[in-house]
Amino acid sequence: MLRHLFKLIWNKKGSHSLLIIEIWASFMVLFGVLSLIVYNLNNYLQPIGFEYEQVWNLDLANNQDTVEVAAKLQRVLQQVRASKEVESATRMSSNTPFSANQMGNAVTYNKVNVGADFYHSDSELIKTLGLSMLTGKWYTEADRVSKFTPVVINNKMKEKLFLNENPIGKVVVQDGKNYFKVVGVVDKFKAKGEFMADNPALFQMMAKDDGWNSNILIKTKPGTDANFEAELVKNIALMLPGWGIEVSYLKESRENRHKLTLVPVLIFLIVSGFLLTNVALGLFGILNLGIARRRNEIGLRRAMGATEGKVTIQFLGEIWVLATLSLIIGLLFAIQFPIMNVFDIASGIYITAILAAIVIIFLIVTLCAWYPSRQASRIHPALALHEE
Amino acid sequence: MFINYIKIAWKVLLRHPFYTFITLFGISLTLTVLMVLTSFLDHLFGTHYPEGKRNRSLYIATVMQTDSSRTSMSTGPATFGFLTKYAKSLKTPEKVSILSNFSFSNTYVNGKRIKLNTKYTDSDFWQVTDFEFLEGKPYNDQNVKKGDHVAVITDALRDQYFEKDAGTVIGKYIEIENINYLVIGVVKGSPATRVYTYSDIYFPYTAPKSNYENKGMRGRYVAIVLAKNESDIPAIQSEFDSKIATISKTDIQDGQNFTVLIVKAEKYFDHFLNTFARDNSQKIFAYTIAALVLAMFMGLPAINLVNVNVSRILERASEIGVRKAFGAPSKALLWQFIIENIFITFIGGAFALALSFLIINMINSSGWIAYADLTINFSVFLISILVCLVFGLVSGVLPAFRMSKLKIVDALKA
Repeated sequence: MLRHLFKLIWNKKGSHSLLIIEIWASFMVLFGVLSLIVYNLNNYLQPIGFEYEQVWNLDLANNQDTVEVAAKLQRVLQQVRASKEVESATRMSSNTPFSANQMGNAVTYNKVNVGADFYHSDSELIKTLGLSMLTGKWYTEADRVSKFTPVVINNKMKEKLFLNENPIGKVVVQDGKNYFKVVGVVDKFKAKGEFMADNPALFQMMAKDDGWNSNILIKTKPGTDANFEAELVKNIALMLPGWGIEVSYLKESRENRHKLTLVPVLIFLIVSGFLLTNVALGLFGILNLGIARRRNEIGLRRAMGATEGKVTIQFLGEIWVLATLSLIIGLLFAIQFPIMNVFDIASGIYITAILAAIVIIFLIVTLCAWYPSRQASRIHPALALHEE
Repeated sequence: MFINYIKIAWKVLLRHPFYTFITLFGISLTLTVLMVLTSFLDHLFGTHYPEGKRNRSLYIATVMQTDSSRTSMSTGPATFGFLTKYAKSLKTPEKVSILSNFSFSNTYVNGKRIKLNTKYTDSDFWQVTDFEFLEGKPYNDQNVKKGDHVAVITDALRDQYFEKDAGTVIGKYIEIENINYLVIGVVKGSPATRVYTYSDIYFPYTAPKSNYENKGMRGRYVAIVLAKNESDIPAIQSEFDSKIATISKTDIQDGQNFTVLIVKAEKYFDHFLNTFARDNSQKIFAYTIAALVLAMFMGLPAINLVNVNVSRILERASEIGVRKAFGAPSKALLWQFIIENIFITFIGGAFALALSFLIINMINSSGWIAYADLTINFSVFLISILVCLVFGLVSGVLPAFRMSKLKIVDALKA
């Protein structure tokens, strides 16, 4: 049966070549869009790893003021912590959660080199963002006595850098000159929001005299509103004349980040949705005409005793063979992506996308062929043969 | 003859409404996507309010310091001082304006927070751009020199900060981070997609917190160089390049290990492309990806059209047989099908135009981009007509050619 179908298709390869190209092109488009969706969905399903609901980001810019910046920042931090509306506050580098800033560096341990996002903070970050500790502890003031800068890494970093070793107390090195001592491992930290991949991260304890990193994350108590914010900004402006002060809510920044991811996905989805509808309608029309032209063949088969079901299956089978041929060509292209790890995306994501694309293509061609095939199978043999 | 072909085409279209629908659906949707996309690109890169002189403007927006092997680099906007020294002093241009990239701030009114984008500019900014002043006037050189605390705000900010229907806001004060600024002008806002002119509030660069005194090369300022006319642009670029070439090694080093300095005065689109692709190979990569995506998105409907047309025309074999039997040459048949296809593509094009108009209006009024001014302009329309023709030919010629070669006997038999 199958060999017969292949023979039928092969005999008409000239007129089918365009159909094959069309199905192939649809597969490629679907594969691309689905890769994007699967990648983002896969990221979205993994927890973000921290709390942001009540957290504000206070962004300070010292502008022309270069005198005792670190001390001034420390004083602001104390003032913030002293407010009764504040649960906890921490200093952080400018790559605060959901911001557009990024800081990447590589660290080495045992000749294994891993690139990670670097975050500078002080001892309160774990409380402010509600990070969950896996092993070890968050760095505290007491860790300052150590010869090496204390750091906390996330689980992804631990997996890449230490494999199965216990990382606590190990010393890693950045650029061959900065030595860090790992004091703890936290779970996930997807600072750029749910759609970000779970990247390796490293939290480094800020030096006491650090005047460079001038962001302060503030976790407020529930029910705190803009009135406190206005008061806070006013107080800081009085303390630090000439400084730039900006407050943003992590909750709002998160939504902005999400939009940056979702808008392109949505545009691709709409455009490819139109394309596929287009293709489906076209396929339907072509199959309709093609099958209608084979009335006598169908009449003959029916007269020879083929059931309605068998005729339907024959036409469906033909389009399935066509789709399979196109998909084989498509796979030759698509399979390169997981093999060559294009764009550094896990091969599982590409493979899921390929499988989903195959299923959707088969669904579309089946849907398009179903109605014409049913129609054809109902042709009365006497009528069809009479026309001949 | 021509009219006749069109009449036949019209009858054929009406005979099979379903196929007509498929064909028109494909054509109009593809063209709509294309037109909306083009109009969006035009919105991003074209010459529009408030950068009405963008076609004769050059942008100096990034300073790149790097070493000869390009292993480490530092890029970003320039300092005010750098631009004053090397851009403001240019002889060829009509005007040069220095402005800061927008930064953020908040202001509070009645327990409500208003998020703000702020921008510091010189007074030439108002000549290089053509902002429409709804009230008041821009700050002038005198305001800048004296360091007045004055500001120009957008209509959107005015409506948020001041009570509505309270008359003019000129002469009122707006408080930002404990400093009161006198509002001297209200302009119609610029969409956020025009990154260099977009802001909610504009200050003279001598206002507090502008950081215009910063030393070195990298800061937060960019310059817009306005040429007297478009043909002057190469001259300005070469004058600027020769100025940059005079910068000494120690200046380039800027306290670090850099030996190479790359600063260019570029047209807006080139500048935009350069921020994404730093060197030529990256540029080629970006173009290839864009071309592939476009080929897919345009190729798929085109293949589909060809497919539909092949089966449609095959269905008309008997008609062709009769025409051939009565002596119509292949060429005449070919022309008939080509004209028929162009005709249907134009109908699709008209639908697409109406649809794009609708979508663009929706985008403009949805507030998705504040002050969005997407338009179907003449060039976009021209491109879409051209695409129409290409589609018509691609989807028409192949099946028509096949059909016109059909033997009379076979055609009549079918």
